[in-house]
Amino acid sequence: MILRTLALLLLSFTFMTACKDNDEPVNRDNFTVTFKVLYDGQPLEKYVNYPYGDKYIMFDKFNTYLSDLTLLKGAEEVKLSDIEWVDFTPDFAPDDKAVAVSYKYTVPDGDYTGVKIGYGVRPDLNAKKPADFPVGHPLYLENEYWSGWKSYIFTKIQGEFDVDGDNSTDTNIFYHCGSDAVYNTATMDRDIRVSGNGSLEIEFDLKKLFTFNGQLLDLTVPANQVTSHDASNIALGQKIMSNFKNATLLQ
Amino acid sequence: MNISMIFRPGTRLLAAAVLAGMVILLAQCKKDPPSTVITACDLTDIPYSPTPYTIIKPDDFPQIFIPADNPMTKEGVQLGRRLFYDPILSGDSTMSCSGCHLPQGSFTDNKAVSTGIDGIAGRRSAMSLLNIAYATNGLFWDGRVKTLEEQALKPVEDPIEMHATWPQVVEKLKKHPVYPELFRKAFGISSCESITKELAAKAIAQFERILISSGTSKFDQFNKGVAEFEDEELRGKLMFFDEGQSSGLPDAQCFHCHGGITMTGNNFFNNGLDSVGKLTDFPDKGLGEVTGKDSDCGKFRTPTLRNIALTAPYMHDGRFNTLEEVMAQYNDNGFGLSNEDIFVQQIGFPITNDGVVHYSGLTPSQTKDIIAFLHTLTDTVFINNPDIQNPFQ
Repeated sequence: MILRTLALLLLSFTFMTACKDNDEPVNRDNFTVTFKVLYDGQPLEKYVNYPYGDKYIMFDKFNTYLSDLTLLKGAEEVKLSDIEWVDFTPDFAPDDKAVAVSYKYTVPDGDYTGVKIGYGVRPDLNAKKPADFPVGHPLYLENEYWSGWKSYIFTKIQGEFDVDGDNSTDTNIFYHCGSDAVYNTATMDRDIRVSGNGSLEIEFDLKKLFTFNGQLLDLTVPANQVTSHDASNIALGQKIMSNFKNATLLQ
Repeated sequence: MNISMIFRPGTRLLAAAVLAGMVILLAQCKKDPPSTVITACDLTDIPYSPTPYTIIKPDDFPQIFIPADNPMTKEGVQLGRRLFYDPILSGDSTMSCSGCHLPQGSFTDNKAVSTGIDGIAGRRSAMSLLNIAYATNGLFWDGRVKTLEEQALKPVEDPIEMHATWPQVVEKLKKHPVYPELFRKAFGISSCESITKELAAKAIAQFERILISSGTSKFDQFNKGVAEFEDEELRGKLMFFDEGQSSGLPDAQCFHCHGGITMTGNNFFNNGLDSVGKLTDFPDKGLGEVTGKDSDCGKFRTPTLRNIALTAPYMHDGRFNTLEEVMAQYNDNGFGLSNEDIFVQQIGFPITNDGVVHYSGLTPSQTKDIIAFLHTLTDTVFINNPDIQNPFQ
């Protein structure tokens, strides 16, 4: 009789604990990644003239696609997303300051050692078009797709440059980079502990983006002022896109 | 058994009185049950079985956002279509939504600015509603509302448009011989008293979401490989999409704002129409009026270029009567204001002068080519689609 009672109690306890486990909320979206854009270490603001060597530069648009954002733990990888579109200068922003964009992901607890990022849209996704994606998907955006190249526009950086150094920007600059040829990935070391929750800040510094081997890209040269979607100046697009990893800071 | 058999003769009268009282009370209860009022407004005898509506769109068009609280139904679209064309929505019952958005003008009124029921001219031109379902980044020229459901509420009460009040309109709809039934079929309301402005706006929004290109314009057929462009149309396309460098053609930069298969990203730009001393001097501040930001002054939502040949006059204030005038404006490459879209300033071939790059604009011949291309965007199948015509005609 006592044994039967104990067995029943044990069974009840097992059921109760099982129920408790099932009822507990699953810890989803526990890891926040915040993207920010800077110029020379300071938060970017649209329409502000920033020193560029002995001249000035101003930005009015910056957005970019990022593929396969992944946390690394030794040889182990935890992919956060296939694709993200980060728009730092959206319409209806409350002011002209570039916005910080945050996304949440589900990440198991652990000590991670690095981050992998694909700059642009990885080729298998880039082979598709906006009509292939559901409403709200980052690749649904028609304005970020260029039909002429059958490619998404991986990044849009627009602004003006002060050619004559009088602190009055007088020349347009724009870098619309796309096509599989400019896609690249980078892996960066960074210790990230996820214990219940966790976070990571990924910053892009536009001054670093325009710095190559310690030298600012010479924007007085017309060929360096524009990379549109023309194959004739894809080299500049490749140069900019491949420099993203040097302009990326993990905080 | 009869009552006289139960009660003694002395109490019979009292019992009869009590029973009569109970009967009266019961009868009163039966007459006025609070939850089952039957009036002329009751719609519950009308079946409510909405049929899902699938929007027909070309395969290469993106999917359409449908808000969860306003699913598309045939009954909703039918009601919305009727409301859209019915002058009952205006203060004096003389003007409907279609007063400014007519199918033959690709849902514009082909006027520089629209005039309301009181004969007062507005300050902006009626925008085309073609593919308006894709405009999820703010509606009207200045983006002041986010959804079609919100948008549909505004013109009714605008004193220079339909100049009514929603309470007045809703009363008219409740008393109408047809609308209560249509609202019941579309939204399942039990009583005409449940008709609201929000339901009317939802129905209109459902109708507006079906105003989608047919996919049969010459441009669409060219994309599918079933039609060929004339040489001038092809040159125009190459310049429009900045694809003509290898053919010695300049960039017209059009697609930066009018990109994607719908020929608009629905973003907001200062497209270089006016020169002002400071940004707040714009006579119409556009987006700046909504956001309060100086840097948004003079910015307006990019209209679709599909059916552009049918929607003259052009720009937010209808200042240009022809596409030739529009192109002439763009060929001037703007005024260099700080918030002016940079691509407006880069039309044509680059010319470097003292280290500063200027742009040549397009030649008259190239301009003609661009306009020839724009005409390939005309979609007569859309404007003649019987499902979107005035149901009262």
